[in-house]
Amino acid sequence: MEFQPKIIAFLCNWCSYTGADLAGTSRIKYAPNIRVIRVMCSGRVDPTFVLKSFTEGADGVLICGCHPGDCHYHEGNYKCLRRYHLLVKYIEQMGIRPERLRLEWVSASEGKIFAEIVNEMVQTVKALGPSEVKTVVETLT
Amino acid sequence: MSQRVDQSLVREVEKFGKGSWNECFHCGNCTAICPLTEEGFLFPRKSYRAMQMGLKQTLASGLEPWLCYYCGDCSTSCPRDANPGETMMILRRYLTSVYDWTGLSKKFYTSHWWEFIFVLILAVIMVILFGFINPNPVDYTLTAEGSVRINAMFPIKWVELGDWAMAILVASLLISNILRMWYKTVIQDKSVKVSLFSYIREFYLLVVHFITQKRFSKCEDKNYWLSHWFLMTGYSIMFAVIVVWLPWFQTEKVYLWYEPQRLLGYYATFGLLFGLIVAGVGRIRKKGVKFRFSHISDWLFIVMLFLTTVTGILVHIFRINGMVEATYISYIVHMAVLVPMVIVEVPFSKWSHLAYRPFAVYFANLKKSGQPVKASVQS
Amino acid sequence: MEEVKIGVYVCWCGTNIAKMVDVEEVAKEIGKYPNVVIARDYKYMCSDPGQELIINDIKKLGLNRVVVSACSPRIHELTFRKALEKAGLNPYLFEMANIREQDSWVHTDRVEATRKAKDLVRAALHKVLFHEPLSERTVEINPATLVIGGGIAGMSAALEIAGAGKKVYLVEKMESLGGMMARLDLTFPGLESARDNLQLTVARVMKDPNIEVYTNTVIRDIFGYVGNFECIISPNFKEDISLQFGNVVVATGLKTFDPSVIPEYKYGQLPDIYTSHEFEGMLTSGRIVRKDGRPPENVAIIHCVGSRNRNYHEYCSRVCCMTALKYANQLRSALPEANIFEIYADMRAMGKGCEELYSLSSRRKIMFLMFDQQGPLPVIRKAGSRDKCDYLITLQEKLSGQDIEVPADMVILMVGTEAREDAKEVAHQVGISMCGNAFFIEKHPKLDPVATTTNGVYIVGSCQGPKDIPDSISQARAAAARILGTIAQGSVTVEVTTANVNEELCCGCQTCIKVCPYTAISFKEEEKVSFVNEILCKGCGTCGSACPTGAITCRHFTDRQLINQIEGLMRMDVEPELKEV
Repeated sequence: MEFQPKIIAFLCNWCSYTGADLAGTSRIKYAPNIRVIRVMCSGRVDPTFVLKSFTEGADGVLICGCHPGDCHYHEGNYKCLRRYHLLVKYIEQMGIRPERLRLEWVSASEGKIFAEIVNEMVQTVKALGPSEVKTVVETLT
Repeated sequence: MSQRVDQSLVREVEKFGKGSWNECFHCGNCTAICPLTEEGFLFPRKSYRAMQMGLKQTLASGLEPWLCYYCGDCSTSCPRDANPGETMMILRRYLTSVYDWTGLSKKFYTSHWWEFIFVLILAVIMVILFGFINPNPVDYTLTAEGSVRINAMFPIKWVELGDWAMAILVASLLISNILRMWYKTVIQDKSVKVSLFSYIREFYLLVVHFITQKRFSKCEDKNYWLSHWFLMTGYSIMFAVIVVWLPWFQTEKVYLWYEPQRLLGYYATFGLLFGLIVAGVGRIRKKGVKFRFSHISDWLFIVMLFLTTVTGILVHIFRINGMVEATYISYIVHMAVLVPMVIVEVPFSKWSHLAYRPFAVYFANLKKSGQPVKASVQS
Repeated sequence: MEEVKIGVYVCWCGTNIAKMVDVEEVAKEIGKYPNVVIARDYKYMCSDPGQELIINDIKKLGLNRVVVSACSPRIHELTFRKALEKAGLNPYLFEMANIREQDSWVHTDRVEATRKAKDLVRAALHKVLFHEPLSERTVEINPATLVIGGGIAGMSAALEIAGAGKKVYLVEKMESLGGMMARLDLTFPGLESARDNLQLTVARVMKDPNIEVYTNTVIRDIFGYVGNFECIISPNFKEDISLQFGNVVVATGLKTFDPSVIPEYKYGQLPDIYTSHEFEGMLTSGRIVRKDGRPPENVAIIHCVGSRNRNYHEYCSRVCCMTALKYANQLRSALPEANIFEIYADMRAMGKGCEELYSLSSRRKIMFLMFDQQGPLPVIRKAGSRDKCDYLITLQEKLSGQDIEVPADMVILMVGTEAREDAKEVAHQVGISMCGNAFFIEKHPKLDPVATTTNGVYIVGSCQGPKDIPDSISQARAAAARILGTIAQGSVTVEVTTANVNEELCCGCQTCIKVCPYTAISFKEEEKVSFVNEILCKGCGTCGSACPTGAITCRHFTDRQLINQIEGLMRMDVEPELKEV
C-alpha cells in the first residue's frame, strides 16, 4: 500500500482557518492526510508544538497564517516567520528534512490556495517517505 | 472580415411584416425544437439574430429562411412570444425582394396599392385584349357533342403564343433572380468551395425535393405537408398543361372522363381546391401558429388562385353544356385573373418560393458537399 | 476533585457529514475511550432537539466536558457554548471538532475521511480534558459612535444612531458629504434625481444636534476595544482632536476602476472615450456632445470594464449593467435619432424594478450586442474617412457567432468598482480583515454580513463589496440597529481567552513585552515580573509562545491543551492521561 503520511497543520483562526473552511464550503477537494489544529494566531505556534508533532511521529508540519500586513493581531505572523526560519535550521540539525516543515500565508478568501498547498505538501512528504524520527525510533526499539 | 451592424435594417424588414423583435432573448428553444435545422444551417434563432443586428450580408447569403416550411413549432415553444416562425416568413419576403433585381418585388410587398394597381392594369389589358380587340366573332355553333367551340373565338395558336410569351417573361425574371440568389448564397460564401461534380450530383435532389416536398414532411404536423403537396402538384400540373401542352389539353374535342387530359385536369383542380380551402379556412380562423398572421400578399395569392380555379371550372362546365356567352365571358375573366396572378406572383411575390425553396435545398446541399476553405467562426 | 466525564456528540448534518464520514462508527469508537461517558451521533446537533440532547446528558449523567464533532467552530461554537451554559456548565468546558468544512466536504474517500474524523475527535477529546472554566468579563459601553466615511451609507448609519439620541462623530476625508452618490445624475431603475435624495439626507445630517461632522478630516490612529475606543483625528489646518466612542462604523466606500490599463479600449488615447463617471458628469451638465462640440450619431456603451475578467477583477461590480441601461434611456431621450449600442457580456438586471427597466430599454431601439467574457475583449479603433463614424469597435458577437464592427462616435466604458487604495490603512486602524479583492470581510457571509471579526467594528456600504444605494442604506441601518442594541445593554462582554503571567515562573526577561502588539503587558519593577492588562489583551497568544520559562498561560489555548491535542491526533492507542482534574 502507498505510504500515507500524517501532516499536522496549525492554522490561525482569522485567515487560514477561515480559508480552510472556505475550501470546504466551496467543495474543493484535497488530500485527506492533513490534521488541523486551530490557534488564534500563527504567532501562538510555539516551537515546542512543532517539535512535539515531529516526536509524536508527524511526517510533516504545516503552519499557515495571514499574509504579511494582514495579521488580525497586526504582527503575529512576523513573529511566526522568525521562529520558522530558526526552526527549519534546527530540525535539519536534528536529522529531519527541512521540507517537512512549511510556513504559508493563506487568507480567508484563499480556499483554493489552501487546498493546493495541502496537495503539494502531501506530495512532497510522500516523496520523502516516513519521517526520519519514526525510522530512528523504530531502529532504537 | 467583420460585418458592420445596422440598426436601420430592422425598420427595413419591418415593412415586409410586423414582428416583435425585442422579445427574443436567445434561449435557443426554437432551434432546438425545429426538426429541419441542422449543423451549418441553424435556424430560426441565427436568422433572427442576424436580422436584429442588421447583418445584411449574412441575411442575403443565408439559405435558412427557405429551408423552413413554417410548421410553427418554434413559435409555439417560444417562451417570449417572439414568433420566430413568422419572422422566417417575413425574412422570405425580404429575401425575395433582395434577389429581385427589378425592385418590383419590394414595391409589391411593401405597398398594397402598387400590387393592386399592377394587377388591375394587367386584368384590364387582358379584358381589352380578349374581349374588345379580338377580331374573331362569337361563334354560336356547337360541336357534335354539343359543347362550345372555344377555340374559334380564342384561336389556340394565338393563346399558346401568348402563353409562351408570358412563360418566357416570367421564367427569365425568375431565372435571373435565382442566378442572383445563387451568386449571393453560394459564390459569395468564401468559406466553402463547390466542385462542378457536386452541381451535377446534387441536381437530382433538386428534382426529388420539388416533386415530393419531403422536407416539409419532416415537420411534426403531417397534415400541412399533405395539403401543401396537393396544392403544389395541382398548380404545377395545371401550369404545365396550360402553358407547355395547351394544344394537347385545350381542344375542340371534349375528352372522355378516363382520358389523361380530363384526369390531369380534374386532379389539378382537386389539388388546388383542397390546398386553397385548407389555407384559406386556416387563415380566416387563424388556426394554429402558422396561420395566425396573414400578410396582404398571402391573401392576394389565395384569392387570385381561388378565382382562377373557380373561373376555370366554370369555363369547363359552361363549355360542355353548350352555354356560349357564359363560356366566353368566364374565359375572359379566367384570363384576366390568371395572367396578372402569374406575372405578379411567380417572379415577384409569394409564388416565387416554388422556385426558391427547391433551389435553396439544392444550394444547401452544394455547400454541405463542398470543401470547407477555412474553419468558420460559428459558435 | 471530581472525575472527568465527557460527552461526545457526532453530527450527521443531514447527509453533509454522514455521506462521507461514517458517523456511527466514529461515535462507537470514541465511546470506548476512558472518561467518555456517552458518545452519540445525531442528525442535526445544532437543532433544538440536538442541543436538548446535550443539556439532558449534562443534567442526567453529570457530564463536565463536552465535545461536539460537527461543522466549523466558526459557525456553531457559540451555539453549543450557550447550550452548556443553559445546563449549568461553564461554556468553556467545550471543544469542537470540525468534520464538515475540513473533512466531509473536502475529501472523496470515505474510509480516509472517517479515519480523519476519528483523529480530530480524539484530539478534541485530549484537549478538552485540560479545559478550564473561564468567566466572562464585561466592560461598560461608551454610547458614542464613530462613523468613518460620509457617503450615503455612513450618513444613513449616523442618522439612525443619532435619531435614537446617541452621539455620532461622522468623519469624512473629502471636503463635503455625499461620497459617490454626489457624482450621480439619476438613479436606476426609477430614473429619479440622485441629487434631490442626497441633499435631503445631507441636510438632515447637518441639522442633527447629535451628529458632529468632521469634513476634510483624516483619522490618525484608533486604539482601544469594544465599548471603549479612542481616536485621534486631524481636521484640516486645525489641532488634533481626541474622540472617545464605543463602536465604529466603517463606511469608506469604493473607487472606480481606471480603464487606461486595458489596451483594447484606448482610454486616454482617443478623445471621445469616456468612463461612466465622466459621462455621468456630461449628463448632469445636460450637454451630450463630442469633444469638437457635435452631438454623436452613434453611441456605444461597453459593459464589464475591469469587472468579471480574470486580468482585472473577477467579481461583478453590481451596479454597472443597470447604470448602462439608465444611460441608454437617457441617451434615447436626448438623441432620438442616434444609434445606441449596448455591448455587454451578461445583462444582470437583478433587484426590484431592474428587469422591468431592461425590458423597457429593449423596446427603445437600442441594439444589444453580447461579447464573450472568456474570449478576446472588443477592440476600439479609429475609423477611416469612408466609415461615416469616428470609431469602429470590432468584436465577436456571441449570440450570432459572428465577427462584427460597431460604428461609434462616442464610447462609454462602464468601469467597474474596486476597493480604495487606503482600505488597508483603515483595516489596520480598526483591526479588520480584507478579502482577496481588498474589500472588508464581514464576520459571516450569510449570518452576519454587517459585523466584523473585531468586536464593536461594523462595515457598511460598498467598502464591504460593490453595492447599490438601497443595499448600502439597508446595511447601514442594520449596523445602526446592532450598535443601538449594545448601547441599550450598557455593557459588553470582552475577550476571556487572554494571557496570564505566573509570577513564580516569570524570570523578568520582558520578551513578552516586546512581542505584544497591544502594549497589554507591562513590567512590575518591584517584583521584577511581567503583568497582563486583560482589558487590552486580545488573546493572540504570541507572548505565550515567546515566553522562555512557560510562565505565560494563554487561556483556552494553553501549552498543555495544545500539546495534548497533538498527542490526541497522533496516538490512537493511548488513553488520555488524566483521570481527574
